[in-house]
Order: sequence, then structure tokens, then C-alpha cells
Amino acid sequence: MTEHQGKAPSAVTFHGSWTDFAKIALPNVLLTLVTLGVYRFWATTRERQYLWSQTRFIDEPLEWTGRGIELFIGFIMVFFLLGLPLVVMQLVINGLVFQGQPIIAGVIIFVMFAVIFYLTGLAYFRALRYRLSRTYWRGIRGGSDDQGFGYGWSYIWKNVAAAIPLFLLYPWASMSLWNERWSKMSFGPYQFESNADWKALMKRYLLFYLVPFLVFVGIFAIGVSTLGAQRGGDPFSTAGGIFGFVAIMIAILSLYIVMPIAALLYYSKFMRVAIGALRLGDLEFDFTARSPDWILFWLANLAILMIAYGFAFAPFSLLIAADPTQFAQQLEAGESILSVGLVLGILIAIIPIAFATSIIRYRSWKFFVVHTEAFGEVNLDRMTQSETQSSSHGEGLLDAFDVGAI
Amino acid sequence: MTTFFDAWHFDGQSAVRRKVEIQTIGKQFYLLEKEMRHGPFHFEDLRFLEAKGDDKIYGLAVKDGWRLGVKGHVPDELVPLLPASKTYGGLIDRLGLGKASLIFAGISAAVVAVVLLSPQWLAPLIPTSVEAKLGNALVGDFGGRFCDTAQGKAALAKLTRSLDDKPQDLQVEVANIDMLNAVALPGGKVLLFQGLLSQAKSPDEVAGVLAHEIGHVRERHVMQGLLRQMGLAVVLGGFDGSGGSTLNSLLSTTYTRDSEREADEHSLKALKQANVSPVGTADFFNRLASMDGSKELKDRQARTMASYTSSHPLSDERRKLFENAVVKGGAYKPSLTADEWRELKTMCAQDKDVKSGWGFDIE
Repeated sequence: MTEHQGKAPSAVTFHGSWTDFAKIALPNVLLTLVTLGVYRFWATTRERQYLWSQTRFIDEPLEWTGRGIELFIGFIMVFFLLGLPLVVMQLVINGLVFQGQPIIAGVIIFVMFAVIFYLTGLAYFRALRYRLSRTYWRGIRGGSDDQGFGYGWSYIWKNVAAAIPLFLLYPWASMSLWNERWSKMSFGPYQFESNADWKALMKRYLLFYLVPFLVFVGIFAIGVSTLGAQRGGDPFSTAGGIFGFVAIMIAILSLYIVMPIAALLYYSKFMRVAIGALRLGDLEFDFTARSPDWILFWLANLAILMIAYGFAFAPFSLLIAADPTQFAQQLEAGESILSVGLVLGILIAIIPIAFATSIIRYRSWKFFVVHTEAFGEVNLDRMTQSETQSSSHGEGLLDAFDVGAI
Repeated sequence: MTTFFDAWHFDGQSAVRRKVEIQTIGKQFYLLEKEMRHGPFHFEDLRFLEAKGDDKIYGLAVKDGWRLGVKGHVPDELVPLLPASKTYGGLIDRLGLGKASLIFAGISAAVVAVVLLSPQWLAPLIPTSVEAKLGNALVGDFGGRFCDTAQGKAALAKLTRSLDDKPQDLQVEVANIDMLNAVALPGGKVLLFQGLLSQAKSPDEVAGVLAHEIGHVRERHVMQGLLRQMGLAVVLGGFDGSGGSTLNSLLSTTYTRDSEREADEHSLKALKQANVSPVGTADFFNRLASMDGSKELKDRQARTMASYTSSHPLSDERRKLFENAVVKGGAYKPSLTADEWRELKTMCAQDKDVKSGWGFDIE
């Protein structure tokens, strides 16, 4: 039995709605709050179950089989194997510095840095492996037989090598790590292949790389003209002062708007090249999001977050604005009661922000799925079960370092 | 009893979707395809996975990727054999979302309360020897930065004796670092930084600050603070992002502010006992207040907000506290003689072996 897939319609489609998703996200926020965050592993699982089940590949939905307890165990493992030792090492380093042993302290800091660097690479690998091994399609899953220990070393040396020529080889490092990571993954009986070419990224990367210099040159030019225009007097009342102010505004804007956009231009190209080079058996993939799509996506996320922060801080500002002196008096008088109130206020402020970040995760998944295309054919008889090992704990490391799988 | 019922099936071995009928025989069942029969399977091995639209999807505990999808109305005789649907998972489904949330909130509040309150009782239970070891591990001899001359040490010892009944449990040192500060560390260690001594106008100033730090030692604030911080970090570690750390700092600064007040009160009491005027300490806070800007905070609202977010009470408030404690016409005596004060103040300059600064580039 063979199913052919033409160029249109898309082989990967998304059928979810954000209102349905909100019915999962809101109870998740509530439960996460009342459990002081412990529930978030189960919350993540429920989110993914929904997102996966609303994603269809050809004719059948994906299925997420990961469990909250796996993520929880991963987190606990990292806490005891990494978090606690790090805290202890921090104390030891403090002690060494106070006891006048800065060299030994420096060596320990370096070793700790190297270990964390290695574990970050390992975490990227294992998160992808975990996610593939919990993703089912027609009862078939993915995975990898590689534990990722070698990948951890590659992650270190490739990043170091990329940094030596002033980070100019960063596109090479990230692309070759992408290829290495995906080539070790499989789905069903098929191994992923990835041989994306990093050189295609260089133009965008140089643009990103040069933006800070261009901004600096621009500000310098404005500064020079300002000095030329200014002939003595109070710098803040003359035209020169205003130019200086404009220069500072431009610098701030470029820091928060131009830099992220330059980064998005690069990232957009990266995803197109990287996913475009991915193969699985007779399947080829493509990623169709272009820079404007990414920028709109990013701006909308930013707007959602800003609205959420608005909601989060509205109660506080209302409380203070309504009657400032009374508020101040209460603060002075009933200290402990207001402490409780303030703590509750922050807990309540977490609600809109946590909900907004859920919605952003929904949008990210949707963005990713909607722009992913697949071509070629899948032979269902030959698509047999994966024989890879599957680990029993989740993305603990990844969770600890706060990085994404792809 | 045999029931036939339409369903779909993935066998977990290939990706082929199979249209099957469920044939139940007691607690077992077969899946019948056109010319094939899969099974037998046990109902007890079935696991509910998800409900999607009309479909209910089940997996089999013993077989990876095995799926059975049941569409629409399920015949009555099959219902008790299939595992129950789940929304959140065991516990929460059984209790209901509202009830479960209330119970969780109660447990969380209790846990936070224990973490906040228990250090008060736990800290005194930690043996002094353990605390001393911790203090040594943290600071040791401060890399040779403790100043030491016979006369200077004697003056410091006299000052300590006048402020505390059991000076033998305390280890008071002057560290050769130009910082306007003093700290209490585990194990009864109190460090006065040289910057504090150089800027002090009188020994009474130093006495007030030293008594404050001794207050931290006597009230066991150091270990309490450490335990509370560690506990909060663990308990609120579940939150990601800045929510947990905001809560953590808000909760712990409330306690550190209270500790500072307690230490100030201890200091006032000790000064009174030693018959030392609190004026010097008030001067010290006056200088701090003009440094941290709390003197300029005229607006009442701004003052309270600032006091709420900082770890110490405002220096200006503390100045008033010490000023108000001054008894007009009280028969105060200076805490050190002029000679002793000079020796203490110049101890670091006189000590030839003492190392200075941080030994690295933070000055």
C-alpha cells in the first residue's frame, strides 16, 4: 500500500484552535500555581498531547505519549546531579576566594563551565531523542540508539572552533551540529539524513554580525555632527543636546528592534536551509516560512506578552493609584498582612503571564507545522516499528538549561 | 459471550491502519480483520490514551505502538470492560479540578509556611561546631586579610567584652578591605571592614555596628537566613522564569528586614548596658542615609515602597531609631579611650603582614 503525496495540499497540516487550547492552558496555569510549579511537567504533557493530536501528517494525526512523571523525574535527577553540586561548588568557590586562593577558584570555575557546556550539548541531543521517541504516527515512533555522549564533545569543540575566528564560523558550527544531531535520529525503520550546507547562511550571518558596527558608526556620525553643531552652552538645552538624545534613542531602538530582526533574518534562513536538507527514507522536507513571516510572528508574540504584563501589573497600579496615602499607611501599619497581600498579588500576576507564554507555545508549534512541507512517498508496509531504546526519563537537562529541542 | 464491534487498529509493527471488529470472550478479546485474527489480548492490559472527537483511543501496556480506536457509541456490554477516560490523570480526575486545586493550594501554603517558620527552630538545633566549620570553610583567615596588632586586638576585645556577656563564642576581626560594611557569618564570626573604621568619627559608632552584628549572631539569624533561602529556592524552584525568584526575594527580604530590626534592637540594648551613647550609631546611619538616598525620599509613598523592596530598613529610619534612644543628659562614657580608638583605627596600617584588597580585580 503506497500513498502518493503531491506538492499540494500540504502533507503536514494543523487543525487545532486556540480556544480549544485555552481550555487546556487555563486549568494548567491554575494547577501549576497551586502546586508551586510542580504541576508544570504534567501541564507540558497535556499541552503537547493536544498540539500533537491536532497535527496531521498526510492522513493521520501525530500522537504524544510522553508522560508528566518522566519530565518530573528528569527534573529531579538534574536537581540532585547538577543543581545541588553547583550550589555546593558555588560555596566552595566563595570560600576559596575569601581564603586567597583565586587561582584554584578560577580553575574550578573553568572546569564547571566546561562541564555545563558539555551537558548543554548533551541536553540538546537527548531532548530531540526524547521527543522523537514519544512521537507516534500510525502506531510507529522515532528515536535514536545513540546516547548523545559523543555529540556533547562535538558541541564543545565545534563551538570553540567557531569562536576562534571572532565567532565568524558560528553558522558552520550550528549547521554541522544540526546535521550531526539529526543524522543520529530515526523514525520507524528509517534513519534521518541531513547534509545542510552552512555556506548558504553566510550572507545573512554577516548582516547580523555587522549590525552592531553599523549602528555604532551611525551613532558616531550623529555624535560628530552634533559636536559640530554645538558651540558651547548647556549641552541639554541646545540643538546638540537634542541630537544626542536622538542618537541615544536610535541606539536603544536598534538594540531592541534592529538586532532581533537581524537575528530573525538569519534564523529564518537557517530553518529553511536546515529543514530543506532533511530526509527520511523517501521523504523530503521543506520549511516555507520567510523572514516577513518570522518578523510578524515575533511581533505578535511580543504584543501578546506586553498585554499579559499589562494585565499582570494592573491590579498593583490600581491599588496604589486609587489611594496612595492610604496604601502607604497600610503598608506601614499592617506589615505582615500586606506581605501576604503582596505575595498573593504576585501569584495572581503570574496567571496572565503564564497563560500568554502557553499561547505563545501554541503559536510556535502552529507556525512550525503550518510552514513544514513534506514530499515523496511513505510505504506503509515498510514503515515498521522503531527498534531504538527509549529512555524512561524526560528532558530534565534541557529543562534545566531552558533550551528548545529544534 | 461474544460481542462484535467496529473499530480501527494499529498493531504497533507496521503503519498500516486496520479496520477491525472487536470480538470479546470473557476478559479477553480478539481483533478480527478481513482474513486475519489478532490476539488474544487482555482487557486489563488496555490503557486509555486520549479522547479525540468521537474516538476513544486505547493502547496496550505490553505492546509499543499498539492502538485501538473505538468510534461513536460503545455497546453497553463493552463499557465496563474498557478502562475509564482520563482528563488530567488519576488524582485530579478523582477529586475534580476545583477540589484538587484547593487541596494543592492548602498543601503549598503549608509547605511555604514550614519553610519560612521552621528555620527559627531549626537553626538553634545545628551544633555550634558545625556552624563554626561552615564559617571556617566560607572565610577561613580571609586570605591573610585580618589585621593584627597587640594593641589593636586588645581594643577590639575590650569593645566586644563591653557589648556581650560571652565574648569567648565570638570571633571579631577587622578585614583590610575598604568597604563601609560589616558582616556576621556562621560560627559567631563578625567581620568589620576597614572602610567602616576609617570613616567612623568615634568608637561609639563602631560599637553600635558591632553590637548590631553580634545581635545577628545571638539571634541565630545567619543560619536561619541560610536555611530559609535554601528552603525557598527548593520550594519555589518549580516555577520557571522570574515569578519564583520574585516571590523568593519578596519573602526572604521581609525576613531579613525583620532580622535587621531585631539586630538593631539588640544593638540598642547592648549599648544601653555598656552605657555607650547611641548618638555615634545615629551619625553612622545619617552618613549611610545620604549615601543610599533615603534621606531625600520626601514622599511618603516612595519611602514605603523603597522600604518594602530593600533587604534592610531604610538608613534614615534607623538613624531616627538610634537618635530617639538617646537619653538627654545621660551619663554616657566613651566605649574606648582615645589611645585605644587610635590603635584600633590604625591597626591595619600598622600590621606589616596583612594583605589588602580582594586579591583580584574587584576593589
